[in-house]
Amino acid sequence: MAGDVEEYLRPGVKTPFCPGCADRILVRLILRAIAELKIDIDKMLFVSGIGCAAWIPSPHFNADTLHTLHGRAIAFATGAKLFNPELITMVVSGDGDLAAIGGNHLIHAARRNTDLTVICVNNMVYGMTGGQVSPATPMGIFTSTTVEGNRERPFDLCKLVAAAGAEYVARYSVGQPSPLVSSIKKGIETSGFSFIEVISPCHIQFGRRNRLDTAAETLKFFAGKCLMKDEAEGLSPEELGDKIITGEFSNGRDQAD
Amino acid sequence: MAWKEVRSALPPGNYYYSGNEAAAEGAIAAGCRYYGGYPITPSSEIMEWIAVRFREVGGVFIQMEDEIASLSSVIGASWAGAKAMTATSGPGFSLMQEGIGYAAMTETPIVIVDIQRAGPATGQATRVGGGDIMQAKWGSQGDYPVIAISPWSVQEMYDQTINAFNLAERYRVPVILLAEQAVGHLRERMDVREKIAIFNRRKEKGAAPFGGGDDGVPPMPAFGEGEKLLVTGSSHDDYGLRKVADPLVQARLTARLHNKIVNNREEIIEYEDYYAEDADVIVIAYGFTARSSLFAVERLRREGKKVGMIKLKTIWPFADTLTRDVGSRAKKIFVPEMNRGQIAGEIMKYTCCDIIPYNQTDGEIIHPTTIMGELRRLL
Amino acid sequence: MGEIKQIRLCGLGGQGIVLGGTILGHAGINDGKWVAGSSSYGAEARGSACRSEVIISDEPIIFPHVTRPDILIAMSQEAYDKYIKDMGRDEETVIYDEQMVCTKEISGLRQLGFPAGNVATKELENKLVANVVILGIVAEVTRIVSQDALLSAIEKNVPERFKALNLRAAELGLALGRAKK
Ligand SMILES: Cc1ncc(C[n+]2csc(CCOP(=O)(O)OP(=O)(O)O)c2C)c(N)n1
Ligand SMILES: [Mg+2]
Repeated sequence: MAGDVEEYLRPGVKTPFCPGCADRILVRLILRAIAELKIDIDKMLFVSGIGCAAWIPSPHFNADTLHTLHGRAIAFATGAKLFNPELITMVVSGDGDLAAIGGNHLIHAARRNTDLTVICVNNMVYGMTGGQVSPATPMGIFTSTTVEGNRERPFDLCKLVAAAGAEYVARYSVGQPSPLVSSIKKGIETSGFSFIEVISPCHIQFGRRNRLDTAAETLKFFAGKCLMKDEAEGLSPEELGDKIITGEFSNGRDQAD
Repeated sequence: MAWKEVRSALPPGNYYYSGNEAAAEGAIAAGCRYYGGYPITPSSEIMEWIAVRFREVGGVFIQMEDEIASLSSVIGASWAGAKAMTATSGPGFSLMQEGIGYAAMTETPIVIVDIQRAGPATGQATRVGGGDIMQAKWGSQGDYPVIAISPWSVQEMYDQTINAFNLAERYRVPVILLAEQAVGHLRERMDVREKIAIFNRRKEKGAAPFGGGDDGVPPMPAFGEGEKLLVTGSSHDDYGLRKVADPLVQARLTARLHNKIVNNREEIIEYEDYYAEDADVIVIAYGFTARSSLFAVERLRREGKKVGMIKLKTIWPFADTLTRDVGSRAKKIFVPEMNRGQIAGEIMKYTCCDIIPYNQTDGEIIHPTTIMGELRRLL
Repeated sequence: MGEIKQIRLCGLGGQGIVLGGTILGHAGINDGKWVAGSSSYGAEARGSACRSEVIISDEPIIFPHVTRPDILIAMSQEAYDKYIKDMGRDEETVIYDEQMVCTKEISGLRQLGFPAGNVATKELENKLVANVVILGIVAEVTRIVSQDALLSAIEKNVPERFKALNLRAAELGLALGRAKK
């Protein structure tokens, strides 16, 4: 029955995700968006790279899945989509995968405005390999390779992708389920390149190193950091501080702000 | 069987094509309808030819942002049901290695044309080389099977590209056309027959897409057919389910990947024998060098010298049985190569016969007079 | 044994040497022959030495590069000086553009000069088709390819909008060749 998330889960699969992992939530939120759109999941293709986030579709989703190489998901997806435009193609991968090793593919797909929906699962670290710094790690954050706190500036991924020409760009956190689900629906329905950055915290690799000892604490910490775009309007840079602004940054032909 | 006869894409007749153009036409004839590429000398003419011709035959062409992306997109297209290929040269071939390993692991039929130029690194972009032989076999991590073919003429660029697609589809394996600049840029007469035989990947609804059949080659469904495929470069069971710590799964998969090529090698390997029957000195050569060698061998035969030649058409899997047999008959084996002895070393694995390598890496082809001179000293 | 003719065209980049070789080779194919052709350029496309070689044979060609040219077509002095050394026996022919090349006396070698560039500039107002004028001359003087084969090869290898011009250039070349015989 379309509309039921359970129907879209691959039977018999034991999830590899840690207890309390936010990616467990995201598995269901992506499927809920698909269910709400009443899409026949057999018409979809899910492509992912390498990392924890890349395991969201493969093997959880009971659909065609292509689990590729680290950083290359978008390039693989491009070939499949161009050859068979009927495939509703979604890429789900991590911040390291899409923005570091795969960064070039990301901006070029945005430039071409290839009809893909890319979900960038941002836990702000390399979760799978032990919590090293990623291009999305905020400054000052402790990781296994920034033992004195991160000194490099992170990418604003939404700005980057919007500037490269993406049709639809948005950022939400797993803690904002309903705007996130609507956003994923919009992304799927947009013809052209859609990019949705999802803040999906990792309490094991990110939390523990930054004095957030449990999954709940980590989620709460990020919930406190996320501001909707209109809430952020008019705030001074000092007031904004290290807040994460969520919302839509490019929609259809709108210019990125 | 999934063999069938089809009409050639080009009207039958004689054409005057470059090797690169012939490879592009061979691909089209074989049914290739997806090409992702990135410009590099001396292979770019293949991409440019495809860009024009795909508009006529209805294929999907895209110039990607680099060679990693090119090959990745080709693999994605292959799973979407396409016969897909890319072409490149040295530096780009290096970037494609991770994709080659992935295609081998996921048993994805793809064709890569490598127009070898003088290396290493950027080397001499317009000059000839033959240094990618071992890279084609061992370039990606973890020990995997590939098929590599070495064409010596424009005709073979056409015929062997068709063959490359047939082998890729038949064995679900990456196939590399290891050509050289001297063949890619050579113009020659190319004969197009009315009909060609092509093999299309076997399909079987519901069958395990990574299970292997009698011959170790499983059927291959495409995305969008409702098979709910799990395709992964991680180790996996017969249905593609990731099994990243199970020794049995790992052992079975790697053995099958290897065996589906090695156990079928008699069917895969092609070579040609020129005067080798009663020869004391046998030249083993491939690609352009085999033409120089044959020219030299025929001259010497006319003088009554007992020389012969084996031309390797298939490089990988290597012709081990043939090499053993040649080694048991010949007094000496002469191996001229445009590298530092890559195939000579391979030959030494299979025979104790006296092997004399000749290695030229100056960006020029090995001339028949050079080979003649070397052979005279051996006779 | 069937006949094998080895032809070397040489000149400067930008003179259409490579295209000339391709057309000549294609003409050989049109005549039902076996053909092999290859070219090499200097580092830059324009103004540097450029060479194109064609072998036309009644049988399949084993080694596809020119080993001993039977015919040398020279369109620049530098190229002539460089490649004339490989010539010098009977039954070989050198065809050159007389405005571009001063020849050396070599006994027994047939060297024929023609005003190819001049004719292209004066009669066709386009010196770029001197290469095709020369091909007309070569076809007429050496008979390595037939007239029809040459004309149809030109049609297949030049862009539509230059077809008439190039066919005219070939006709002028054929006429020049006829006049000299
Ligand atoms: C070419 C290559 N380099 C490195 C790795 C190791 N590796 C696996 S996952 C990963 C990082 C994943 O980080 P991210 O994409 O953010 O995903 P997460 O695990 O955080 O969800 C790395 C570096 C690899 N698999 N391939
Ligand atoms: Mg991450």
